[in-house]
Amino acid sequence: MDIKDVPCPFCGCLCDDISVRLEDNRITGVENCCTLGNAKFLSKGRLQHPIMRRDGKWVEVTYEEAIDETARILSDAMRPLLYGWSGTIGEAQVVGVHLAEEIGALIDSTTSVCHNPSILAIQEVGHPGCTLGQVKNRADLVVYWGCNPIEAHPRHMSRYTTYADGYFIDNTATDRKVIVVDIRRSEGAKIADEFIQVKPGGDYLVLSALRAIVRGRGDVIPDSVAGVKKVQLQRVADLMMKAKFGAVFFGLGVTMSRGKYKNVRNAIELVSELNRKTKFTISAMRGHFNVYGFNEVLTWMAGYPFAVDFSRGIAFYNPGETTVIDLLERKEPDACLVVASDPGAHFPKSTIEHMAAIPTVQIDPCVNATTALCQVQIPVAITGIEAAGTAYRMDGVPIRMKKVLETEFPTDQEILERIVTRIREMRSHG
Amino acid sequence: MRFALSSGRTVPQGSFIEHKLSKGYQRATSMIYIHPLDLMELGLESGDRVHVTSDFGSVVLTTETTEDIQTGCVYIALGPYANAITGGYTHATGMPDYKDITVEIEPTDDPVPTVWDLMEIVGGLRYGH
Repeated sequence: MDIKDVPCPFCGCLCDDISVRLEDNRITGVENCCTLGNAKFLSKGRLQHPIMRRDGKWVEVTYEEAIDETARILSDAMRPLLYGWSGTIGEAQVVGVHLAEEIGALIDSTTSVCHNPSILAIQEVGHPGCTLGQVKNRADLVVYWGCNPIEAHPRHMSRYTTYADGYFIDNTATDRKVIVVDIRRSEGAKIADEFIQVKPGGDYLVLSALRAIVRGRGDVIPDSVAGVKKVQLQRVADLMMKAKFGAVFFGLGVTMSRGKYKNVRNAIELVSELNRKTKFTISAMRGHFNVYGFNEVLTWMAGYPFAVDFSRGIAFYNPGETTVIDLLERKEPDACLVVASDPGAHFPKSTIEHMAAIPTVQIDPCVNATTALCQVQIPVAITGIEAAGTAYRMDGVPIRMKKVLETEFPTDQEILERIVTRIREMRSHG
Repeated sequence: MRFALSSGRTVPQGSFIEHKLSKGYQRATSMIYIHPLDLMELGLESGDRVHVTSDFGSVVLTTETTEDIQTGCVYIALGPYANAITGGYTHATGMPDYKDITVEIEPTDDPVPTVWDLMEIVGGLRYGH
């Protein structure tokens, strides 16, 4: 049996044109998907039972025991941390936020270590963005700044930019120009009309130089800026100003470099300058398939998009203080629940040392690096393949994720609801 | 020799993301990309191992040459190996410096650790099937 138009639960592109071939409740073929999504749909090997550490060894336990132990750990904690959320659906994230409020926890998502600076910049100067459909149909110039779509979002170019047919673009191969800005000559850079190779940490300078040229003050620019020649900057600024509709996409090369949110702010302000002359938009290349969704859910429920601390009984948001890395670096949490992410593989060493030193619980289908840091792991259904629900694409468009396989594994949402119920029972019994 | 190290996504890293304990993931995330001229100056060939040390830690990685990167810069896929040398200071932004980390690189014959080894160094316990 073939199921068509299945959204892919890998990256923020949320490609919703995937065909999946099923035989005996197994996926035997995938069409239209990139290498990354393909590997996820066809992935084999998962944790079969909940596991718990006893006397320095892993033992298999029942779901009841694992949920009891998780509820006890979270109930006993003075400063619980609930982290992850980007690899699950909005319906499960809602339960997570309720849980955080109920136990006075700090809740944060993988946003904190990807596009948190983009959100800070947007909160400062706004977001002249648009949907990917607008880019596909209108953009005659696309700028990829500090991102590498061919490796991180492999179908971004074919679905929305360089190779995509557009309603107002006669010939996408000749009428759509591409500029890539990166510290290395990535695969994307090799097919760009202009590749700007900037020195590490030089994005802010190059953005400022382009702003000056667009403003008509190219005379103040030195011959070379962060390794980029002035003549190239002038050429690129001309390309941008001559475009009918330009779209900037930026990635972690901008958000993680020196300057952080100030880099993104500068990029947004370059786009504002360009909008005095033509039409330009700017958007973040969001990573996990539903990292954007967590920002939506937390904003509806608590008023802020990430890093919300409920310990005061109200929603308190102060990035740099209530962000997960700062919290762990200060060694504040005395318990941690990880859902649908893998901080063991993606957090700096000093922060995961603290996670290993406190009772940490993980809800995830697979054994991963975080497993080693945990006291308990509860395996669940794979969201977007074995569980349906709502996810948000990188441009904020909600897409219904499908369930294509039957499974006996419970969903993230079911496990979280059982944990909340168990905590309430424990508290009502004193 | 001193370099500026940045981490980021690669297709092999992403392909093995559901299998982080596999040899494929280990290979994909413990490879350090370096310009051939820099590798020559280190007296090494592509595939030789190096000790990479920052202010925050040290890890053994395998070299892979590429001319796509400038001299003086090195690149690694994001993951536990990159994080073994990444600091937790965020400049009050919440975001650590995952890019442009100053590292010292020297040749070594030491083996590349496994992901489980790295997790046990920080106090974790490997899970055996």
